[in-house]
Amino acid sequence: MRHLLWMALFASLTALVFGVVTKGSDRQRLIYGLKVFAEFLVVAFILGWILYFLPLR
Amino acid sequence: MVAKEINQPVAKAPGRAWLIGLVAWAVPGLGHLLQKKWGRGLILGGAVWTMFLVGVSIGGHLFRIGPNDQGFAALLQLLPMSANFGAGLLYLGCWLTNTGFAEQAQRVTYEYGNTFLLCAGLLNYLAMLDAFDIAAGRKQ
Repeated sequence: MRHLLWMALFASLTALVFGVVTKGSDRQRLIYGLKVFAEFLVVAFILGWILYFLPLR
Repeated sequence: MVAKEINQPVAKAPGRAWLIGLVAWAVPGLGHLLQKKWGRGLILGGAVWTMFLVGVSIGGHLFRIGPNDQGFAALLQLLPMSANFGAGLLYLGCWLTNTGFAEQAQRVTYEYGNTFLLCAGLLNYLAMLDAFDIAAGRKQ
């Protein structure tokens, strides 16, 4: 659970910066930031499940 | 339309823009605050400062080229060091006080800390370019 929280904090701060520095109206930037945040989480979940099934030990 | 934009002559950035860029690198968020972009400055500065401080507190370590790093080992340190260096005075302060350079690989959150520290510097580079563009009149 702690890993998920750190990952979510990282994703939120990074998405915040990406959303602020991008061009466009406030609404467009907000949507972009939320999209980046969601992409971080979705990709992390997908990679996490892929790694779970790999025989790495 | 893109070709039209590319062919437009780019106005030379004034000296003030370079100074703002330097200040924005040195103190995350300050480049925007000096230009009265209060919201942007607080958000960008807050995000970078938070990432850096969280990174140090959860066991991440900063990179530098030490006397023991020779040849390829020194090159391997160079990339993450340049990412860390983006945090400006936060990095230099840690370097002067020898804080945050010890590896704490036994901590569960060690890798998270490293990632936070690396990205704090990289995001501050982005914030610095944003402040520079605003000062040069290339962005609102």
